[in-house]
Amino acid sequence: MDPLVYVLDLVVFIGIFGIVSLSLNLEFGFAGLANFGKVAFFLVGAYTYAILSQMGVPFYLCLIAGALTSAITGFLVSLPTLRLRMDYLAIVVLTFGEILRLIIKSEAWIAGGAWGIAVPRAISVAGASARVDVLVNIGLVYFCLFICFMVVQRLSNSPYGRVLRAIREDEVAAEALGKNKAKYRAQTLALGSAMAGVAGGLFAQYIQFIDPYMFMPMLTFTVWIMVILGGPANNWGALLGAALVQIFDKGALIAKDYLTLPIDPTDLQYILFGVLMILVLLYRPGGLLKESQVKTKAMERIRCGRNAVKNKGSP
Amino acid sequence: MEETLLKIKEVRKHFGGVYAVNGVSLNIKGGGIWGLVGPNGSGKTTLFNTILGLHRPDEGAIYFNGKRINNLAPHQIYTLGLVNAFQIPRLFHKLSILDNMLLAARGHQGDRLLNSLFLRKNWQEQEVELADKAMKILESLELDHLALSPAGELSGGQRKLLEVGRGLMASPTLLLLDEPAAGVNPNLGKKIFEGINDLSRDGLSFFIIEHRLEILFDFAHWVYVMDKGKIVVEGKPEEVLEDPTFYQVYLGE
Ligand SMILES: Nc1ncnc2c1ncn2[C@@H]1O[C@H](COP(=O)(O)OP(=O)(O)O)[C@@H](O)[C@H]1O
Ligand SMILES: [Mg+2]
Repeated sequence: MDPLVYVLDLVVFIGIFGIVSLSLNLEFGFAGLANFGKVAFFLVGAYTYAILSQMGVPFYLCLIAGALTSAITGFLVSLPTLRLRMDYLAIVVLTFGEILRLIIKSEAWIAGGAWGIAVPRAISVAGASARVDVLVNIGLVYFCLFICFMVVQRLSNSPYGRVLRAIREDEVAAEALGKNKAKYRAQTLALGSAMAGVAGGLFAQYIQFIDPYMFMPMLTFTVWIMVILGGPANNWGALLGAALVQIFDKGALIAKDYLTLPIDPTDLQYILFGVLMILVLLYRPGGLLKESQVKTKAMERIRCGRNAVKNKGSP
Repeated sequence: MEETLLKIKEVRKHFGGVYAVNGVSLNIKGGGIWGLVGPNGSGKTTLFNTILGLHRPDEGAIYFNGKRINNLAPHQIYTLGLVNAFQIPRLFHKLSILDNMLLAARGHQGDRLLNSLFLRKNWQEQEVELADKAMKILESLELDHLALSPAGELSGGQRKLLEVGRGLMASPTLLLLDEPAAGVNPNLGKKIFEGINDLSRDGLSFFIIEHRLEILFDFAHWVYVMDKGKIVVEGKPEEVLEDPTFYQVYLGE
């Protein structure tokens, strides 16, 4: 395979998982929601995209539909747990993802069952080389990533993001200060699931074929590693984590093709992952990047005033 | 006489076999400082938490401004203007002190998802005003120089001050304060009570738990004495001080 295509392929995956990582960061990093079923919402987006695109629906509508079905699923699944402790949410979504995967696997009429389903490319350029094809995908994926990043970054620097952090820090105090935690959690999960759904659709059309084995619970944990590594409640951190984990992931595949190692590169990758996580948790328990501060116009004004006074005080 | 602001009727709340609040009735009218005293464990904090919707009462009814509130969630009660400062401060430690204050503002339009995402015009100016208000309150509590530091870095006494500051930030109709000056240096504690006194003249009502009777009795115009989950004496401070039951409660055993 063309080595450049390897790299470009890696860039696509960083983009797709960057979106998933941002969505988990919104839910866990900002709002403290333990979504251990991330893969379920990725799956819903991917299958929605696959089924609709096979029916001839244009790709952008498939992506939007994937976002919507995933958002609705996220909202409904979490609904019974929003007022409970967060461990209930974790258990419910984790189980839901696996049940959903098993249903799709055993019900061939839904989307080919265990055999999987073929998915057409969103944008196919006639007679294009592999490089051009991947470049077009990079364009599509990074356009979606950009929109998602703008959304989460805006929320993080707004009163809404401040409320999410408050609920994460102390839900009783947040309620006593008038914040309806169930409402905020439901909205956050719907939004996070919508983003994961878009990523699922992008994934399906990029690899052009999906089957239930691609949506194992391990995928959820990979995304968790991205967020914890990069630094929860920092959107740049979520992207950094996604990039690092994907480089590791694809690096192991390349190593498999080109190197002869005494052990299986996939195992080596897991070992290195483990070591990396332990190092991060030991030396930078908050992740590589620190939690970002809430930056609104009002906050910046006070900050500037503060600096002006400081500068005057020490001539 | 002014209208009744908070009306509590025969409220009971038990934990296991023990009634922490055992049939409390009281009426708080608008304006002024209302005190609640009683020995440790007499049920004062539990009564406050029940009023705030943090505990469901087992029996009885609670009305605020004529509206029954004992079936409402805490965030709804807060929205009505019945606000509290916890005995043990519950701050958002990773957030700045100013963020903590802004979170307490009632009716911040930016707290809504769509406003924060798309309609910044709807709240940016409001937030600038709220931040100015927050800075003024922080100044009076001598916390303004720390406004941008994380709340987790504050000392015990400062945490208590911020907890009270958040309550004031809400511009409530009735503010419940659970030992607002406990652990605060005495000079500042006195200043807090003087500030409370000024605000009460402006029409804000306070219901205050305080274990240092001499301080509370200087400022309160009506005092409830609680013992073993019941109100045993009530009246003007000077009347309560003459009541033999009052001494029995404090010195009896
Ligand atoms: N959450 C709780 N669970 C069990 N018992 C409690 C709880 N809160 C308070 N109590 C008990 O209720 C009684 C009254 O406590 P509290 O209201 O804190 O008294 P005060 O504020 O007057 O010191 C005490 O005996 C206390 O141990
Ligand atoms: Mg108490």
